[in-house]
Amino acid sequence: MKMKYLISTAVAAVIASSAAMADGFPERPINLIAPFNAGGGTDLLLRGLAPHFAEAIGSEVFVSNMAGGSGTVAASALQGQRPDGYQLAYMSITVSTIQPQIKDVPYGLDSWTPICSVAASPTLLFVANDSPFQTAEDVVEAVKAEPGKYVYGSSGPGAMTHLTTVAAFAGLGILDDMKHLPFQGSGPAIKELTAGNIQFFGDTEALMQRGDFRPLMVFNDTRLENFPDTPTATEVGIEAPLNELYLWGGLFAPAGLEPDVTAKLEAACEASVASDGFMEFANNSGTVINYRGAAEFDAFYRAQYQSNSSLIEAAGL
Amino acid sequence: MLSALPEAIGILLSVEGILVLVLGTVLGIILGAMPGIGSTVAVAIVLPFTLTMGQAPAILLLLAVYAGSVYGGSISAILINTPGTPQSAATCLDGYPMAQRGEAGIALGWATVASVVGGLVSAIVLIFAAPQLAAFALQFGPIETFALILLGMTCIVSVSTGSVVKGLMAGMIGIFLSTVGGDPILGEMRFTFGNWQLFAGFNLLAVVIGVFALSEVFIRASAPISRVSDLVAFNGIVLPSWQMWKGRLRNLTKSVAIGNVIGVLPGTGAATAAFISYAEGRRSSPNRDGFGKGEPDGIVSSEAANNAVTGGALVPTMALGIPGDAITAVMLATLTLHGITPGPKLVEDNPTLIASIFAGFFIINLLLLPLGMMLSRVAAPILRVREAFMMTAIVILCAVGIYFVRGNPFDLLIMGGAGFVGFLLRRQGVPMAPLVIGMVLGPTLELTLRQGLILTDGNFLAFFTDHPIAMVLAIAALLALSLPLWRGLLTRRAA
Amino acid sequence: MQRFANERVIVQMVLLIVAVALYASTFQQSFSASDVAQSPMFFPRIILTLWIGLAIIALIQTLRVQQTQTPIASWARIGVVIVAALIYTNVIGAEGFFLPSVIFALICLPAFGIRNPFMIVLFAVLVPGALVFLFNHTLGMPLPTSRFTYLF
Repeated sequence: MKMKYLISTAVAAVIASSAAMADGFPERPINLIAPFNAGGGTDLLLRGLAPHFAEAIGSEVFVSNMAGGSGTVAASALQGQRPDGYQLAYMSITVSTIQPQIKDVPYGLDSWTPICSVAASPTLLFVANDSPFQTAEDVVEAVKAEPGKYVYGSSGPGAMTHLTTVAAFAGLGILDDMKHLPFQGSGPAIKELTAGNIQFFGDTEALMQRGDFRPLMVFNDTRLENFPDTPTATEVGIEAPLNELYLWGGLFAPAGLEPDVTAKLEAACEASVASDGFMEFANNSGTVINYRGAAEFDAFYRAQYQSNSSLIEAAGL
Repeated sequence: MLSALPEAIGILLSVEGILVLVLGTVLGIILGAMPGIGSTVAVAIVLPFTLTMGQAPAILLLLAVYAGSVYGGSISAILINTPGTPQSAATCLDGYPMAQRGEAGIALGWATVASVVGGLVSAIVLIFAAPQLAAFALQFGPIETFALILLGMTCIVSVSTGSVVKGLMAGMIGIFLSTVGGDPILGEMRFTFGNWQLFAGFNLLAVVIGVFALSEVFIRASAPISRVSDLVAFNGIVLPSWQMWKGRLRNLTKSVAIGNVIGVLPGTGAATAAFISYAEGRRSSPNRDGFGKGEPDGIVSSEAANNAVTGGALVPTMALGIPGDAITAVMLATLTLHGITPGPKLVEDNPTLIASIFAGFFIINLLLLPLGMMLSRVAAPILRVREAFMMTAIVILCAVGIYFVRGNPFDLLIMGGAGFVGFLLRRQGVPMAPLVIGMVLGPTLELTLRQGLILTDGNFLAFFTDHPIAMVLAIAALLALSLPLWRGLLTRRAA
Repeated sequence: MQRFANERVIVQMVLLIVAVALYASTFQQSFSASDVAQSPMFFPRIILTLWIGLAIIALIQTLRVQQTQTPIASWARIGVVIVAALIYTNVIGAEGFFLPSVIFALICLPAFGIRNPFMIVLFAVLVPGALVFLFNHTLGMPLPTSRFTYLF
């Protein structure tokens, strides 16, 4: 324990000197907030990151959970906190850019100091393996022939899974001829896709591999390594901004964080994301690492906030 | 998978394996037995430790803590009338009256044996029939689930001790509380009145702990204080003898079966199973007249079923990659961290791992009996402290437990409010178990009803005409509602 | 007078009034749903209607049956315990876990009849202290801390 402390203080000293402004940050434990339950995907990702982040920042780091309201409760609570850098939340695309546009939450575009992005996975539209649909054209044909028959699922209204299916079918011009069946979480939706009560679902590659499913298109800029025969949404004829969707997430602090504290957190985030330990963790858990620094992430986040509004409109939320 | 069993048992009987199973179960029982602290918090506490463990020990630790805490919940339910989780709420109904009569030891004995039998049978079912049961689970779409929940709702009548009208009203209050927050289909906010804290709705555990544990403290505060150390007379678990099981085995078998079947169906859970089983016991047990007044069959019904669910819930989890409840969802996520993709091929690709999980689950349930008896002896002196210390500690522990459920101090407010309202309602003879049933089943009832209406284009009759399973369940629900009335009419005529 | 203004009747009345008020509030918001069954208020209205109906029956039953209420042994004690518990659960978020717990125990234990000041203080400090030590400093799952220090 002593040794660990010595190492961490040494690392802290290095970071502190490199950041020029030696104002003593951090002088107490840093809290990484997962806006979902303990044991969920976000929570485990943070728990995988935390030890490496602690080593890089030179202070104790703990992960706490504040679940509820699709992540909005934690975000709403954090937004009112003093921006001291000791409270960071891992927020996904939905918590940070979708929910504030569809719910009357006390936070919005300008409530945050983005620190860094950590992961981003493109989503896919997929069907059960025994489904008759091989291509997007098959789907358009079948839906036009029998409007109102086919059902797409989601893990809840306004969730990433919902937006994926909406982007696909709005892009193909058949959204109004289909029915939407929301579930509570991806698990039950996958079960109904297997059982045949829904015909389409959209989620990340890691989740698609949980069942016997076949992708129809991927919302990425290029085809995926594991599915070279699956076209991108652009190839299928879906236009921007509906053609690319990533389930991304990163660390956010409340707005108004001091630039040198931001810089320290950013440096620690970069070091921990690039650490061997986290790389191995990501490899095991199927996490697609996607690091962006504070400035780049800020620009990306703002651009996403704007472009997602058209998606929200298409979804009728 | 069966061929991998010997190797799996080898893994389990290593030093690490035994240590994980024993310590996990002990920790689970202790945490579960603390008022206010239930399975959710217990699992959250051990979760960080599982990250650095191997695949099998990590899952087994979670399972041991989970199974231990479900069993441990019955201890505080029986001894101090404060269930730590919704699934032991039905255990209070007969467990606490027995404890008040000075039969706490034997009440816990019934609960222990019922839990162990429920868990063991579900482990065997899991080992031999998981794929077949998973296929059965797929037959249960939204409409079938709706009918099942409807059947579950009829329990409200049987657990309404005292007045049925008040019980039904409590049930409606419970369902209503569950509708606060985001609409499940459209996502629009209901009854939040602009308060973002309510976007997530009322937390079930905060309400349950409030109306059971906290209001219990208030009720004790309103009664005269007796100076003797006076909670209940308890010196450890007393196992019921073979003679005492006479005429109760049928009820036990039925309860285990109910727990297994309901556990397999995703989206229902242990509390539902415990209540349905309790209601069935009250309908068919030869000792049904004593239900609610301290009848061992009531404890057996609830405890056998809620423990059988733990094994049942593993069926869809392991065979389909679909979590059966919140805890199995954590297990799946933990598997993913260890580089294992849950899904239909999980068993095929990792036979040894799955075999050791299943066999470990069997051992955990075996361990409940000796560990439960041992811990109860160690813990018995705690119950001899003055009521004042116990009551104060309960309030503090409940605050800790509820804080960790969602990490939100707002839930403490809900707990406090629920405790006060629960106290007022209990004084008027409004039973609290129906309120819990309403809150547990309400969200699924609404979700599946509206999902079904989407699937059938708004044709409610098609729920039953096109879905034979739903039809059968709906008829069962009707019978469950009308039989007690019919019976009541007959006895009145005879009188 | 006793027959209409006792605790039983008042509680039943309040339950009915709350249900009616909630039912009325369902008409304040407008929703975009196209058909009735998919309106967010469809299901809650059914439940609230049943609640109102049952509350009316319960109220009538209460008015017709004369039953004696379980007496409150000491109004002072129950008042102190309820108020202390409600304040306690309210302030943990802002003031941390430790200090409110100590104060709550210092109030609650004498209310329940403990007279030995040594025992009271010992319990009030030890129990919350042990919990803070366990969760904040051993398990890394911190309970809320006070405005003075992040240590408790």
